Order: sequence, then C-alpha cells, then structure tokens
Amino acid sequence: MATIAPTGAGGMNAVFMTDRMHDAIAPRDGGVAVHGLTRRFGHGPAVLDGLDLTIAPGEFVALLGHSGSGKSTLLRTLAGLDPVHEGTLFRPDAVSVVFQDGRLLPWKRVWENVVLGQAGADRRDRALAVLEEVGLGHRVDAWPLTLSGGEAQRAALARALVRRPAFLMLDEPFAALDALARLKMQRLVARLWARHACAVLLVTHDVDEALLLADRAIVLDHGRIRTDLAIPLDRPRHHADPGFIHLRGVLLDALGVHDD
Amino acid sequence: MPANVIPSASVPWPAGRAMFRNVAARGLLRYASPVILVLLWQGTCSMGIVSTRLVASPVQVIMTGWSLLRDGTLGANLGVSLARAATGLLIAVALGVGFALVSGLSRLGEDLVDAPLQILRTLPALAMVPLFILWFGIGETPKIALVALGATFPIYLNLHKGIRSIDPRLLEMTRTLGLSRVRTIRDVILPGALPDLLVGLRFAVGMSWLMLVVAEQVNAESGIGHMMMEAQDFMRTDIIMVGLVIYGLLGLVSDQIVRLMERTFLSWRPSHRRGQAA
Ligand SMILES: Nc1ncnc2c1ncn2[C@@H]1O[C@H](COP(=O)(O)OP(=O)(O)O)[C@@H](O)[C@H]1O
Ligand SMILES: [Mg+2]
Repeated sequence: MATIAPTGAGGMNAVFMTDRMHDAIAPRDGGVAVHGLTRRFGHGPAVLDGLDLTIAPGEFVALLGHSGSGKSTLLRTLAGLDPVHEGTLFRPDAVSVVFQDGRLLPWKRVWENVVLGQAGADRRDRALAVLEEVGLGHRVDAWPLTLSGGEAQRAALARALVRRPAFLMLDEPFAALDALARLKMQRLVARLWARHACAVLLVTHDVDEALLLADRAIVLDHGRIRTDLAIPLDRPRHHADPGFIHLRGVLLDALGVHDD
Repeated sequence: MPANVIPSASVPWPAGRAMFRNVAARGLLRYASPVILVLLWQGTCSMGIVSTRLVASPVQVIMTGWSLLRDGTLGANLGVSLARAATGLLIAVALGVGFALVSGLSRLGEDLVDAPLQILRTLPALAMVPLFILWFGIGETPKIALVALGATFPIYLNLHKGIRSIDPRLLEMTRTLGLSRVRTIRDVILPGALPDLLVGLRFAVGMSWLMLVVAEQVNAESGIGHMMMEAQDFMRTDIIMVGLVIYGLLGLVSDQIVRLMERTFLSWRPSHRRGQAA
C-alpha cells in the first residue's frame, strides 16, 4: 500500500484515517482513498479543489466530466505521475495505466512492449498468455506501427494487465476508436474486469460506456465530485433496459446535457 | 509517437503490359542520359575539340585507372586514404556519441558541453588546417584529426536533437511502468534517437571525405589526394580524373552502407522512409 501525503504531513495519515475516512473502506484493503486533494497549475484556479474519492477493492468506477474538468489530472495524480501538493492519497502499489494513445514503443515488438521492464525467463510466455487473453495472439511479433488503433489499445491493455494491478486506470482508452472497435473493447474490458477483479477507474465522455461497464459513475465538476451515481443494474447490460434509460437521463442531467 | 497509426496502404501496382513497358522505358532513359554524356565527352576528346592535356577522355581514364591498379599505386593510396577516413570517423563517432549522451541525458551535461560545441561548430573546420599542421606535424595525426573534427559535429548535433525530442508521452508511460533510469535510457531514449544518429552518421561520412580530400592535398606523402596533387605536377589529367572517380565511388559506397544500416536497424518503421540527409 502506497501512502502519498504532502511533505511534512507524516503524522497526519492517522488523523485522516480516523476522521470522516470514507465509510467502510480501510485503504489497506487494496482500494483507493483520496481526501482533500487540491491541484492547481502555477497560480491558476484549482483544477482539483479539495476532492474526496474512494474506490473499493474490485470496484469499477466511471469518471465523467466536461473536457478540461480535471479528469486526466486526477488520474495522473492517482498514477503517481503528478505530485500531491495538498491532500492525501492512498492507493495500492500495483497500479497500471492505459492512455488514449497506446504509447507503445515503436522499436519493440508487441510482446516485448507488453513485458517491458518485467524480469524473468518466462517473459515471452507471460506476454503470449495475456495477448491471447486480449485477442491479440496473432500479432505478438508485430511492430507496433503496423497495428490498427484497436489492436494498439489491446496491446496497451495487455501491458497493463500483465503487471497484475490491484488498481487499473483507463484514460479515455477507446475515444479514438471507431464505433465497432469501441463496442468490442468495451466487452473485452467487462470480461477482463470480471476475471482479474481489480479496481478500475475509467475516464470516459461516453455516458453509455459508463452505464454498460461501471458499478458507479461519478461526475467531476469544478474540481470536485458533484454526482456520485450507483449503477445497480445486472450484467450484461442493455441499452434498451428501462433502468439503463433512466440512469442515462440522470447522468446526462448531471453533465448539464438535457435529453429531449 | 502515435502507436495507433495505420501504415499507409501501399499503392497497388498498376498491372498490365503497357505500364510495365512504361516503367522499363523510364529506367532505360535514366541510364541512357549519363551514357550519352560520356559518349559525347569521348567524342569531343577523340575529335580533338578539347585538348586531352586539359580533360582526359573516358577511355584514357579507364586505361590509366587499370594500370594504376596493376602497378599497385592505386591500391596502396586507396588503403591509406581509407584507413585515415575510417580512423577519423571512428573517433568522431566515439566523441559525438559521448558528448551527445552527456548533454542529452543531463541538464548539467548540456550546460557544460553544448555551449562550447555550438560555438566550435560555427568555425569552418578547414580553417583549422594550418593550426593542425603546427600542432600535429605532417604525419597521419593532423589528417585523422581533421576528419574527426569535421565528422564529430553532425553526429553530436543529430543525436543530441534525437535524444531531446523523444516523445515525452513515451517517457511518461515508462514512469508508470516503473522502469529504472538505466532501462529507460537503454529501451526508450537510445532506440528513439537512433534514426537521428543515423542521419548524423550520413552527414559525418560525407564530411569525412571532404576533410580527407583537403588534408591529403594540402600536405601528404600518400593517399588518393596526394596521388592527384602529384599528377598535377606532371599535368596528368587522366590520373587526376581517376582520383575524382575514386572519390565519387567512395562517397557512393559509404552512403549505401549507411542506408543499409538504416534499413537493418530501423526495420520497425512500417514503410522505410528514406533518410533526409543529402
Ligand atoms: N501541465 C499542465 N499545465 C497547465 N495546465 C494544465 C496542465 N495539465 C492540465 N492543465 C489544465 O487543467 C485543466 C484540466 O485538464 P485535464 O485534467 O486534462 O482535463 P480533462 O482530462 O478532464 O479533459 C485544464 O484546464 C487544463 O488546461
Ligand atoms: Mg483528459
């Protein structure tokens, strides 16, 4: 369990823990807990403004919000790419990130990208197994620049999963894909999540995607989470389901878009 | 670097005999024009329009080249020139890569190394000839040093640029994977900068020959340049032109070698783009 606290706040963690610390979740379970997280760039306005968020172990959370609302900033902070200046953050050590652009190294073959930085004689076998799992078993030796957009995202997903993350972050991973590829990827993610049982934070601007996949949808607005919507629908989910349609209306409302 | 770029589909080769004949004709034309020029050159020489004291005829050049080859003059001088160019280039690669790593991988290194090299770069390397002769005498050292000096900058500048322009998103990704600094350098920064290094190498090879020509013509007792200067004393335009042909061939062959290296090491590029080096 990694505890990332602002410098000089070493003794504060216990206080936070006993404070209004997020209901049932003790962070050592492998969940995520963010408290009072504030982030500004330079002297600009706070992009994240005292944000509180908890994600239970194995929970699938979809994060929505307008462009520029700070979704990526929150995710980057959770990933340890951005520093925590104000607030506290607990997260598991084993985290993985998938970005919108696959970010594969063009000069390493797909399987080498998947196990980049992983040690062990069975590297290739592990890469093969996980590539098979994401449906890319036929492209293990391909050069990344020859992959289609969907294949590149599958490879990025494989690279994230091979590390056995307790917490997986996805930043608009399917936004650049065509509709058909996106549907396939959504099903794949649903399957993988069911099997790997890791906590997931999926940033998306697609309300349907959130409703198809997540246990909970949260909406980021002015640096805080203004809407926290449970999605108590059975899986697999269908767009035509009345519960689905109702929740879509609620979410679109929360986003300030009115479904006429 | 966007990983999800689909390689542009290759244009389907237009089938059909007409097209094939067209392509064949173009190929012939490409070779025909230089051949016609050489024939014209031979004609003007044979008819006495141009004095063979000023311009040797192609046949003469070939004959002279053959006899120089047989008596060993050409081989010996070529060997000396090649050794000088190769040694100088090797030193340049070591220095250029070393400096580029130091200044590309650390801010402190950049502050220490980059400014002096950028200043030195603006000096025409050939202006160093008198100083090099004073410093290093008339042996092999000043010639090799001149080649090394000229060839270091293209290597340094291109590799430095390559290291500095690595896609920051890839570096960020390696941070999320927890890659160590050493592994990041080995797996991300160096391979990412390799295309630029090879472009630099092509410039450096061209620069090596240029430096060598000057070094061998100013002051040498052997080498192709020396052979040409000696021929000048005896008004042997044929030998001078053999030297020119040899230089031309050397440039061509070394350029092909670097191109081959590009094809080998950069095979990850979907459609191998030709380097931008002239
Ligand atoms: N490195 C940065 N420097 C300055 N401003 C930034 C930086 N990164 C993000 N921002 C600003 O923070 C805000 C939130 O950005 P981001 O988290 O990328 O939004 P989202 O992912 O929700 O679209 C935007 O106004 C953006 O301009
Ligand atoms: Mg974003």
